[in-house]
Amino acid sequence: MSTQAADLADLLTRVALRDRSAFKALYEAASPKLFAICLSLLKDRREAEDALQEVFVKIWHGADRFAPDLASPAAWLNTVTRNHAIDRLRALRSGSYTLDAAEQIADPGPDPEATAITSSEGRRIEGCMEGLMPERAEAVRLAYVEGESYLELSERYSVPLNTMRSWLRRSLIQLRNCLSP
Amino acid sequence: MTDLSTDDIALAGEYALGTLDHATRGTVAARIRRDAVFAAEVALWEARLDPLNDALAPVAPPAALWRGLEGRLFAESPRPSPWRWIAAAGALSTAMLAAVLWFGAPLATGPGPMWVSDMVSEDGSVRLAALYDEDRGEMRVSVGGEAAPEGRDFELWLIAGEAAPISLGVMPEAGQAAMPIPEDLRPLMLNATLAITDEPAGGAPGGIATGPVVALAALRRI
Repeated sequence: MSTQAADLADLLTRVALRDRSAFKALYEAASPKLFAICLSLLKDRREAEDALQEVFVKIWHGADRFAPDLASPAAWLNTVTRNHAIDRLRALRSGSYTLDAAEQIADPGPDPEATAITSSEGRRIEGCMEGLMPERAEAVRLAYVEGESYLELSERYSVPLNTMRSWLRRSLIQLRNCLSP
Repeated sequence: MTDLSTDDIALAGEYALGTLDHATRGTVAARIRRDAVFAAEVALWEARLDPLNDALAPVAPPAALWRGLEGRLFAESPRPSPWRWIAAAGALSTAMLAAVLWFGAPLATGPGPMWVSDMVSEDGSVRLAALYDEDRGEMRVSVGGEAAPEGRDFELWLIAGEAAPISLGVMPEAGQAAMPIPEDLRPLMLNATLAITDEPAGGAPGGIATGPVVALAALRRI
């Protein structure tokens, strides 16, 4: 674990014990990155500020849920933030469409691009993203970093929503095959 | 290894990616709560995709945001952090022997070195005296005052230096109890601080304190 990660893990442990000075130190260390995530996803400064405050309320009350064996402290903080901001983002536009949670990939067989990334090289996501077709890698990035929904992505790429979803699900599975030995 | 179907793995990925609509996110979140295998796959996805956040340059939030947060979380009950309490406890020079007298049945001392810690909550409603017998590696505790609220338990923690507190177990509701201290913890007991926290019934999940600190006091050689 890096020094920075060890410091964040230590602060989270102390926050779980209701240590306010540790909470302030954690806020100072982590809030700029988490604010950037909120801004990127929500695209509205006011919404992002509200989200960041809610996220730190969750961190104050839920720091004990941080499990060092499952995630780095930075990744845990990022995930708490992303989940809150995306929930908010989707709630703002709820009802526009509903997906099927039991969606099936029509053909889980290999895509033309699959062979390029089934090799074991590049365990990191960036390396694996290079194995996706450029358009699909861009869609994954837009979804994750910019918070674009299937509806927005399908409009951007001028394909039906279900096609868009099928693309992304295939891309996810290919990324997973690339990342997992 | 996972027993999940490829479709479930993709669904977990979609949740971490963030593309699901509001209603579907709700359905998937409910599944995460009740399906540990699926939840583990979501956690894997969160870790897999996390490096994509590297593309985002940090942005300092406005200063008013911290003040708002502080006001919201800490406005009504200013209470020093437990770590400052520990510093205060360390500065105490009064003999703690008196603690033993607060309870009807005094804790029996052995011939070897003995350490005592008397923990009293801020309002005096919860009291716990601990007597540690260094030679025998055994601690006896005497519980007084109010029991933990319904559905909660008081848990005793060993705090040595700045390390994370180590659970010594859930407290009995009243009376005395003998607690053998595992060998590897014995060296830590000398000059440590003991703390009681308010935890869910059965004790803090995962061995990490979650509840507020009810009382704490240093262990003192007597």
